[in-house]
Amino acid sequence: MRPVVCIGAVGPLIGGWRVSGEGIVAQLLKVLREFRLRGRNRPIQDELAHDHRHGLFLRARALARFGAFDLAAPLFGQAVDMDPTFDEAWEGWGEALDALGERALALEKYEMARRLRSGLRPGAPDRHFVLRQRGHFTAEILAYDAVVRSLAKNTLPYLARGNAYLATGQAEQALANYERALRLKPGVPEITALKGEALAVLGRYSDALQAFDAALAARPNDAEILGGRAIVRIALGLIEEADADWRRQLRLLQGKPSACACVALRMADYDAALPQLEQALVKEPGDPYWLLYRLTAWRRLGEPFDATNIPAIDAWPGPLLALHAGRMSVAEMLKLANTDSRRAEATFQLGVLAFAQDPNAARSHWQEIVDRSGPSLIEYAAARHELVRAQSSNAS
Amino acid sequence: MFSVILYGRNDSHGYNLHKRAAISFNAIAEVMSDPDDEILFVDYNTPDDHPTFPEAIHDTLTDKAKKVLRIFRVRPEQHYHLKSKTHLVALEAQSRNIALRRSNPNNRWILYTNTDMLLVPRREEESLSEILGDVPDGFYQIPRFELPEMLWEAAFDRRDPKGNLTKLRDWAVRFHLNQVVHNFMPMKYDALGDFQAALREDMFAIHGFDEDMLLGWHCDSNLAARLALYRGRVDTLIDKVFGYHCDHTRVAAANNKGRATRMNDQNRFIWDVSSPYLPEQADTWGWPSVEIEEVRLDRETSYERFTSGLAAALDPATEPYRSTSLDWHLYSDLSYDIRHTLPFVCDQVLTYPRSTAVMLVATRAEFVSRFAVAWQAMGFTGPILVPTECQRLDTNHPSIKTGAFSELVRMADLFIFEFGLATQNSDEAVRIGRPESPVDKKSLKTVAKLFAAAASEEAETRPNGRRLPRRFIGVNVIYNKFWPLFTDYIGANINPFCSQVLAGIPRQESSLKGKILKFRGRYGV
Repeated sequence: MRPVVCIGAVGPLIGGWRVSGEGIVAQLLKVLREFRLRGRNRPIQDELAHDHRHGLFLRARALARFGAFDLAAPLFGQAVDMDPTFDEAWEGWGEALDALGERALALEKYEMARRLRSGLRPGAPDRHFVLRQRGHFTAEILAYDAVVRSLAKNTLPYLARGNAYLATGQAEQALANYERALRLKPGVPEITALKGEALAVLGRYSDALQAFDAALAARPNDAEILGGRAIVRIALGLIEEADADWRRQLRLLQGKPSACACVALRMADYDAALPQLEQALVKEPGDPYWLLYRLTAWRRLGEPFDATNIPAIDAWPGPLLALHAGRMSVAEMLKLANTDSRRAEATFQLGVLAFAQDPNAARSHWQEIVDRSGPSLIEYAAARHELVRAQSSNAS
Repeated sequence: MFSVILYGRNDSHGYNLHKRAAISFNAIAEVMSDPDDEILFVDYNTPDDHPTFPEAIHDTLTDKAKKVLRIFRVRPEQHYHLKSKTHLVALEAQSRNIALRRSNPNNRWILYTNTDMLLVPRREEESLSEILGDVPDGFYQIPRFELPEMLWEAAFDRRDPKGNLTKLRDWAVRFHLNQVVHNFMPMKYDALGDFQAALREDMFAIHGFDEDMLLGWHCDSNLAARLALYRGRVDTLIDKVFGYHCDHTRVAAANNKGRATRMNDQNRFIWDVSSPYLPEQADTWGWPSVEIEEVRLDRETSYERFTSGLAAALDPATEPYRSTSLDWHLYSDLSYDIRHTLPFVCDQVLTYPRSTAVMLVATRAEFVSRFAVAWQAMGFTGPILVPTECQRLDTNHPSIKTGAFSELVRMADLFIFEFGLATQNSDEAVRIGRPESPVDKKSLKTVAKLFAAAASEEAETRPNGRRLPRRFIGVNVIYNKFWPLFTDYIGANINPFCSQVLAGIPRQESSLKGKILKFRGRYGV
């Protein structure tokens, strides 16, 4: 609780004004306290000012660290009102309520934060670990910002802060942090590779390729860096070179079926992908993407399957499974494809479904992905390979 | 659901180590509810002739703790290659990785903590297994709350974990124990190594703890830095479980020398970490190709093995007691009671690996045959090496392998030299002035000669790959004429006459006397 008892005790000294726990002095102190906090956190606030929910989160956190949990809790609440997926704000709210003795309410908030986190599907398992991370990383950005101010000459705080930015799609800020880290420790291959990833997200593929080349010169057997370079190479149209990286990556990832499946799918190598997908399903039977990709492989390899066995799943990519099962129309499915990556996934599957009857229609779907989607998607690389294959079969 | 990983050593780490460890083992076992849960304790570098640390305190552990506890014993010989690189006798990163490699693959979580922690679920009816079963993938820590030494030392009953947890819940409020100490990221909390829960899969992906950290301290921070990079965040379980540390600052820990404490480099291992992975140790972390002995407290215990061995080798006594004597004029009488002495000999070998090859150089056939029966019944699988130079011995037992001394000495891990009278029968009275026959003299001369040779050439005749001195056990070497011979060569303690047994490793004497002894032993002079 706030120290209102002390404030109340000074009441009689100020001209007979009765000062309660919520009285004038208490409110004055509250304002002063908030003013002080605003001053202390100016750099972080400036950085996050563009996003009001982050601003609320920042103030709430600062108040909580000052012990003002009663002030912090409603701010966390406002932050989650603005963004109900803001897991860190839910957790902060839980912590504040816990400190206030509101145990039952606190547990609800913690639970909500965990439910949100467990609902996030990590990025593709063949990608760099930072790109597999999902969720809000505002607390990490703030925390490493504080560390950077104390340990400005060490790389970890910049690297970690850069990763938090990269994982949330803020590649410019990530790049700035990686470059700062590389100025402190030039040539560290792991940081150079991350710089490559940030450059790739920014579409600066040639610069990214340079960074990956440098990192791989020092770490030739790093599967994650090879995967990053392959994506950049395919974005630059260097398909054979990309495949060389992916084939090496595939060898290095042996024993990790889901990651191997993703690499094989990028190369549209369904023969290689299928056994890996079967293994991935044994390990993660609840992952609908492995079901979807197995259907993709079956269809592209012309293998028979029983469509009645395809499970009905509401959440994405359930509509794509329903499309394969014939339980949903294309129009209905496309309505649910409400993000860029979902649209790319949907378009790829339309190509897969069309191929047997109308290869030209399939090719036009795949061309659409290459024209409109980012190269880091499995479907982008797979589509490019499908198109190359179609071209060479046409030529022959 | 989870494997708890702990490490330690059977040494004198504070006068109340045994108490807090028992409290901790029992309390951790108490909050386990999944059949796959396990406590993995790596007993690192305890001397070969000592039991492991949990064995030493087994009577203070609950049945549940004994059931879930798996002990991995790392022998001094296995630590030897690291000895010159560290001032420490127990290595955290190596220990924790050895356990991780051998942990139950069914378990989703690995929990790193220490043998002085009590983990208290905030909902009394909830177990830690249930808590970890419900939370999403991540890397979790909790703050550590400190428990004054007087409280746990005076008020905890080591065999009542439930009662201890109840007391803690009360004390936490009454004595304001719960203070969260926040820390820089990626550590999140102070003393983070007392609760770090990571996915087993993640720990394998990042290649375990960094085994270059040989100087002590910061292994937990290094892990936090690498897992924070790998996962992107450090999560908390503060809403689910509190962790209490049995404070033990009256006696400083072995790796705590105040301002003179040597530590792992913080910049290298924390602040300049650039990757969660350790590709240099990807294939070697946790010593996957090294055979590590596993000891259990709920089956095949040392006591069970010991009693099985003796029950197989000896019939119970039929008289209330038998006698011997220390009278000065009996100094040359080498008669002794094998049935009384055998338990003390078995006691000397029991803590050695079951695969140990023991060289047995003896005079009395009865000693060899009884020892061979006991050896096999104690579960040893290694051979008993009996040199052909020793005559009149029964070497038909399947555990016995015979050969020339010069050949067998290079295979032995341990030596037993028995100085008795070859002609003594088991029902004879002992130490009543029995003279030596010519046969006895001949046998004793052979044993003495082989003993001097083995002891003086011990370093030169070690089996391939072995770097530490081998132990010599002398039977019937107290207060008789072989006492000086044995202790000239072997650095043995003073033992009671009643046990008849002395043991130790060869003396490293650089004095003239030592050199002469070595020369005499080597050339049989």
